Amino acid sequence: MEPPIVYYPRSEYIETDTGNKVSRKSVICGSQNIILGGKTIIQTDCVIRGDLRRTGGGHAVVVAIGRYCLLAKGSIIRPPYKTYKGIFSYYPMKIGDHVTIGEGSIVEAATIGSFVHIGKNCVIGRFAIIKDCCRIEDNTVIPPNTVVPSFSIYEGSPGMFVDELPECVQDLYEAKTKDYYSKFQSKDS
Amino acid sequence: MSQQIDAKQRSYVHYYCPCPDVSKTNNNTVEDEEEDIIESIPDFDVNSPRLHFSTFPISKLYFCEDCHQIRCPRCVQEEIVCYYCPNCLFEVPTASVKSERNRCARNCFQCPICQNTLTVVASTELPPPQPSASSNSSASTTSGAPYYLSCGVCRWDSQEIGMTFEKATGLALQLQKTEDERPDVKEFDHLKDHFEKHLRLSAPSTTLPSSLLSIPGISSFSNRYGGGGFTHPHQKSDDVAEYKTTIKIENDDNLVHDLVQLKDVNQITTLTQRMNQLSDQPYKVERLQPQRIHLRTKRVKRCRSCRHILIKPEQKAQATRFKIKLVALSHIPKITITSKPNLVLNQKTEIILKFSNPLYEEIIVDLALKKDETTETNEYAQITLLAPHFNITPFNEVWEYDEQDFNISSKGRPSSTASAPKSDIGIYERRGNYTSVIINITPLAEVDELKFPLLVTYANKVKDNNDNNETSGDAPANDSSTAAETVSSDKQNTDADKPNTDADKPNTDGDKPDTDANKPNIDNIDKDESTPTTKSLFFWTVIGLGPVVNQVTAKPLPPTRSPLTNNNSNVAPTRTNINSGKA
Repeated sequence: MEPPIVYYPRSEYIETDTGNKVSRKSVICGSQNIILGGKTIIQTDCVIRGDLRRTGGGHAVVVAIGRYCLLAKGSIIRPPYKTYKGIFSYYPMKIGDHVTIGEGSIVEAATIGSFVHIGKNCVIGRFAIIKDCCRIEDNTVIPPNTVVPSFSIYEGSPGMFVDELPECVQDLYEAKTKDYYSKFQSKDS
Repeated sequence: MSQQIDAKQRSYVHYYCPCPDVSKTNNNTVEDEEEDIIESIPDFDVNSPRLHFSTFPISKLYFCEDCHQIRCPRCVQEEIVCYYCPNCLFEVPTASVKSERNRCARNCFQCPICQNTLTVVASTELPPPQPSASSNSSASTTSGAPYYLSCGVCRWDSQEIGMTFEKATGLALQLQKTEDERPDVKEFDHLKDHFEKHLRLSAPSTTLPSSLLSIPGISSFSNRYGGGGFTHPHQKSDDVAEYKTTIKIENDDNLVHDLVQLKDVNQITTLTQRMNQLSDQPYKVERLQPQRIHLRTKRVKRCRSCRHILIKPEQKAQATRFKIKLVALSHIPKITITSKPNLVLNQKTEIILKFSNPLYEEIIVDLALKKDETTETNEYAQITLLAPHFNITPFNEVWEYDEQDFNISSKGRPSSTASAPKSDIGIYERRGNYTSVIINITPLAEVDELKFPLLVTYANKVKDNNDNNETSGDAPANDSSTAAETVSSDKQNTDADKPNTDADKPNTDGDKPDTDANKPNIDNIDKDESTPTTKSLFFWTVIGLGPVVNQVTAKPLPPTRSPLTNNNSNVAPTRTNINSGKA
């Protein structure tokens, strides 16, 4: 089933030069520490905590998001933290290209590769590593420090490996995210 | 919203792979041969209980270029190219897989309670006094050892069973001694020793590929039961000396006694926990041990009939690329349902199927519900294919970049093609590398899932001598003149489809060299056949459309589907334009 065209009121989103569409109703903290790759959509009520940066001085990238990503309504991106050798610190998070994060999901992963689909209402635990070409089904909880290897489908709470993805998943997810971006259009109303 | 998603998920297009039903060896690359095959197609029953096992979404299918056939996951053969641990992603050399018992031999452990990965934690204080009944963990336990395994999900930690480590690395190695002393391991080694003497004597007349030999036990299996083994199995097994066990199963009276006394259900292991510890399958929770994580594999996939490789991943464990990737998605037309209103009993509904062409050549598609039939009425629905015959322009990478451009050029399309009304009945939209067609459907029964079969036959032009002679002059000319010329040739030609396909070519002038460049390659492949005109393939698909509702129950639904209906109303004018143009 092909997804329908999604229209949004023109005033609700800011479009950047590189084609990122960021909702005015989202909460973006520490925007100087956040990088968006281009053509990435950040929908209403998303939270990105770019202000939770590493202790110690200097400018640092906290959240790096690639191209053609989608942060659906109400998703939360929060860099992971831990106490190492008695020092509490946040650590940077990297998200690849063509990544979809479903509505209401909370992501505290260390790395998310490219061509990843995360369903609705998921929790991705601290320092989880999701490799390229993965699928996390709806309502999954990925425990902290879990590694999700390429071409796997994880489901359940705690998230477990349930199936392998087909070889063409890269093409599928690329087409899907591009299609979504082209169908996410503004409308004067 | 949730209802909308549900409805979306329930509509699907699945492709049928005939592999479980017939083993076809026919090579249907030549058109006239193909006619015969179509007649020999057995009727396809969408209500067959086997359907679930023989239909797949297109993403799961492969395409064998040599057989020119769709291959499903059940008709490919797999060979392991690489083993790796899914947690630390370490690539395990094939030679050591066997000795490491197919599990990660580094630091990766699975929680015995919830089967999640465990993390190594340094303890800051001395471990608490050991709980009772930690029978076989004494070897690894050194009191005051600073590291233990901890589960981030269920808060289990290895101190509960008195398992601690001196170093944070090479945990499996530290446990090796305990593992080797387990009764099941000892017994297995003893068994292996016992039979290996015998197996070494029997001739290694194996027909299995070498990579399969690395799977523990399979070589001995093939020796005994495979190639030629059937003739003397009894003689051989008679030679084996009688086996005596080294370990006696302990009397389980005590266990039964303990189990009877249990008051709390949490003190007994669940089936999953027991099955994850195959070695001793304990009943008591405190006897559960963390297990090393199972290795995963990367596999080469081969066509079963011609043994050509369809999928070849890169050797490296972390690489996601493929050296060879012959997937159906890039070889056969992809069908998607673009618009599907709710199906209401006895109400005629239009559904739109989008056919996209992944090839660099133009293809001609024929649709049928049965053999050569475009309408069908059964107990569930009345279905009419409005456009049983159409063409799809080739895939062009350029379109991906200037979407806007082709939108404009395609807007001029309806007017130019409207002069050839014959081809455009039932065509909803032609754009880029896809064509959308309309199917009329009138549900006649209230069912949970309305589905119907669709026979898709497509042909891509490899080299068409007749056609080239006729239209070779037309191709380089500009848009309007070719449209006119092809229409005129349409009248001359009895075979309507060939000019049609040409009508679309001028629009895609940019990619013309591409298709031409591809042609010689394909010619080479088919050289042995006598001047092939087209290369064609047919396959069955099942179109699932979700539930049919009665008018009464349907009424509360429309608001939830508003985005879709909006979409429909927006595009509707273009369709009426086409219709009026025809009139």
